[in-house]
Amino acid sequence: MALLPMFPELLKQLFRTPATNMFPAKYLPPSVTGFLKKVGAGQATLVPPVQTPPKFRGKIEYQRDGCIGCSLCVKVCPSNAIELLEETKRIRIWVDQCIFCSQCTDICPKGGLRMTDAFLLADEDRYSENLIVE
Amino acid sequence: MSEEKKSPYIIPIGPTHPALKEPVMFTFRMDGEVIRDVDFAPGQTHRGIEWMGMRRNPVQIVHLTDRICGICGVSHTLAFSRAVEQVAGIEVPERADYIRTIIAEFERIQSHLLWAGVAAHELGFDSLLHLTWRVREQSMDVIENLTGNRVNYALVQVGGVRRDIVPEQHRIIEDCLSTYEGLLGKLLDLFLHDKTIAMRCRNVGLLSKDDALKLCTVGPTARASGVNVDLRQDYPYCAYGDLDVRAILPDQHLGETRGDVYDRIVVRLLEVGQSCGIVRQCLSEMPSGEITAEPKLAKLLAICKKARGEAIGRVEAPRGECFHYVVMEGKEAPTAWKVKASSYSNLMSWIPMLRGEQIADIPIVVASIDPCLSCTDRVAVVRSGSRSILTKDDLHRLSVEKTRRLQQ
Amino acid sequence: MTLVTTIGEIILWTVIVSLFGLIAGLFLLGIDRKLAAHMQARIGPPLRQPFIDIRKLLVKENIVPENAIPWLFNMAPVIALVSSLVILLYIPLGSLISPLGMYGDLILVMYLLTIPALAMVAGGFASGSPYATVGAQREMVTMIGYEFPLAIVVIGIAWRLWAAGVAHPFLLSSIAGNPVWGIVGPLGIAGLILLLIVLAVVTPAELSRIPFDTQEAETELAGGLLVEYSGRNLALFSLSTAVKTLVMGALAVAIFFPWNLSSFVALPAGVAQVADLLFFLAKVVLVMFITVTLVRVGMARFRINQVVTVYWVYFALIGLAGLLLLMADSALGTVAGVL
Repeated sequence: MALLPMFPELLKQLFRTPATNMFPAKYLPPSVTGFLKKVGAGQATLVPPVQTPPKFRGKIEYQRDGCIGCSLCVKVCPSNAIELLEETKRIRIWVDQCIFCSQCTDICPKGGLRMTDAFLLADEDRYSENLIVE
Repeated sequence: MSEEKKSPYIIPIGPTHPALKEPVMFTFRMDGEVIRDVDFAPGQTHRGIEWMGMRRNPVQIVHLTDRICGICGVSHTLAFSRAVEQVAGIEVPERADYIRTIIAEFERIQSHLLWAGVAAHELGFDSLLHLTWRVREQSMDVIENLTGNRVNYALVQVGGVRRDIVPEQHRIIEDCLSTYEGLLGKLLDLFLHDKTIAMRCRNVGLLSKDDALKLCTVGPTARASGVNVDLRQDYPYCAYGDLDVRAILPDQHLGETRGDVYDRIVVRLLEVGQSCGIVRQCLSEMPSGEITAEPKLAKLLAICKKARGEAIGRVEAPRGECFHYVVMEGKEAPTAWKVKASSYSNLMSWIPMLRGEQIADIPIVVASIDPCLSCTDRVAVVRSGSRSILTKDDLHRLSVEKTRRLQQ
Repeated sequence: MTLVTTIGEIILWTVIVSLFGLIAGLFLLGIDRKLAAHMQARIGPPLRQPFIDIRKLLVKENIVPENAIPWLFNMAPVIALVSSLVILLYIPLGSLISPLGMYGDLILVMYLLTIPALAMVAGGFASGSPYATVGAQREMVTMIGYEFPLAIVVIGIAWRLWAAGVAHPFLLSSIAGNPVWGIVGPLGIAGLILLLIVLAVVTPAELSRIPFDTQEAETELAGGLLVEYSGRNLALFSLSTAVKTLVMGALAVAIFFPWNLSSFVALPAGVAQVADLLFFLAKVVLVMFITVTLVRVGMARFRINQVVTVYWVYFALIGLAGLLLLMADSALGTVAGVL
């Protein structure tokens, strides 16, 4: 097999376990929402996704109480995803526009912003409650 | 049917086609299976990123530059930061330079492995694609560990880096490097000693050294044609001045340089090994100290706001020289920001490479320069809904007009 | 009366064999995809994936391009599927008697094998797309390439059987009935191995699989011949590929590995036929794994001119060498017989 070095490699791999992660199930279920409902009802098991790394930058978390309304985060947000609400002096974050750079969490003088591990953020509506943090 | 109508006939490839990973429009004039002539029209993925940048401050733009390219994000952020640092006179701490070098080299490793997989796929060799992308995962994991995300790292900031490399991470990096150093021989064997790959890549897509120089190609494309260019060697930046980096040319491995697709595979695979060496050296020589010149972002913004002048930031991206030009005039946003991605210099080399080859060679030759078209598309001229082509004369006239306008 | 019953029987068997061919063929494709996936360190789709795909295609809209020739464009997939099914009727499946086995021989099967390919060529030219046209041209060139080595294999085996005194050497039932390995001496075995290699290399081209899939070449021609096909027509072409996979496997088994389980172990009549069929399917899967799956995942795609060189130069020469060895073997046998 000097001319085709891939063959031995392939035959060896045939007897090893596959490298892919089977999230959310081994085979694509006919309906993903139906499958998730089943998981919720305890009739099916969900293969967990790959672990997020330490200090992962996921969906943002906002502590409203500590906020002083300094709007520094608004100033550094590259995608203008943060809005300062004038009447309450608090911010609103549009997660669908967020690019997860974590710049606002760095600049916040009160440490009121934090990146969580949540990454399953797909939604049909960009203004859904899931995608607005305030 | 008249003779000229039948031959040559025209095959359009693009703007979207399985051979192309990003949109570009090719028009081939064919004679049977042989390409007589080729023309291409980029500009299908213009996003107006420079326009967005001119309405933002440097701290914001850094994260926009991360999104110019999904693969070489570090190169763009680094080139932009270096330009702004020169304008604002910010001195980057030495440790930050080393961390920047490490992450840039990891980016090169994953980019070259990604390319190798794509090249295998273009040849119809999907198993090799799966294998290279499987081993690429380990570098992605390390990048994830160092920066927090797989793509869009957001690690580089004007003045330094945002995250330090802690001692526990040394072991993870070391593990990854030793795996790759062990794997490199296998990858070279699988790519270079496979008869079918050699049949498809040897003497295909030739780019002579003369053409490579004439067309100003950069990066692995130029090096595979025997042009000894590498910014890391010619104009060292970050920590490269302390390291001994030499451009990798195909004759070091094969004993000759032909400038074909095969040579481009050789250069890229050997650069993976070279990058491993660089990272290892960086890890052992990394000085301790601060990781950023200005940890307070509000202060950094103030410094940038005061800055006046113009500067160029140059970085050797995985695909070649990446170049950012920034003008700041004491305002929050830069007055001008121009990006020249590495693929921009390489695209024209498609024409001599493709002429005279077969249809079957189109995918691999097009992929062989590792084109990144969304990085490249900086201009799209659309007037009243119709597109037009601007020649060199037009562009010259427009720039003279703009200079006059600015002088007033 | 007897004629009517025979015709009735033939029709019944035709339906049964066709259904079996479709189902077994689709499962073969499923096994092929699963094994390929495992070799590439993936999990791969479930075995029934080809059935799901066919069902999906049948629901989808059937688009006929504006500048296509509609009647030819629509007829090509039907001809491809029907002709592949017809081949199956001539090939012995285990110890089951093939319904048309006594009416046609290996030469006919060789001719029939070209029909699905020709139908694809016609469909490709009728699509009116430059990709399909280039694909159709390539398919014709590929056919010219592999027919010659295939003919060498067929003639070599039949000639050796004839030399050994087997009556009707081209008839598949007599080839299957007289395993050729038992007839030849050591020289002949070497020759047969060479012919087996040639047949193994012709198989991927017949099925347009990598490395000989230049006519479909996903990354170059975006599907080539099939680029304009969708919906029902594409489903018919997929079914035809599935049946052809079974046919090529069955052909290799019939020519080179015709042994049945029932000839080794005494089994009751009904059980024997089922056991033979299962054993036959196992042999087909093995043949397919080596000639199709392993080859297609382990190599890069050839250029069309390389395909021709590979067949006309390398494998034609290997085939001729095999033929010569068989002839030498036969000559030695005769000499030994005289002495």
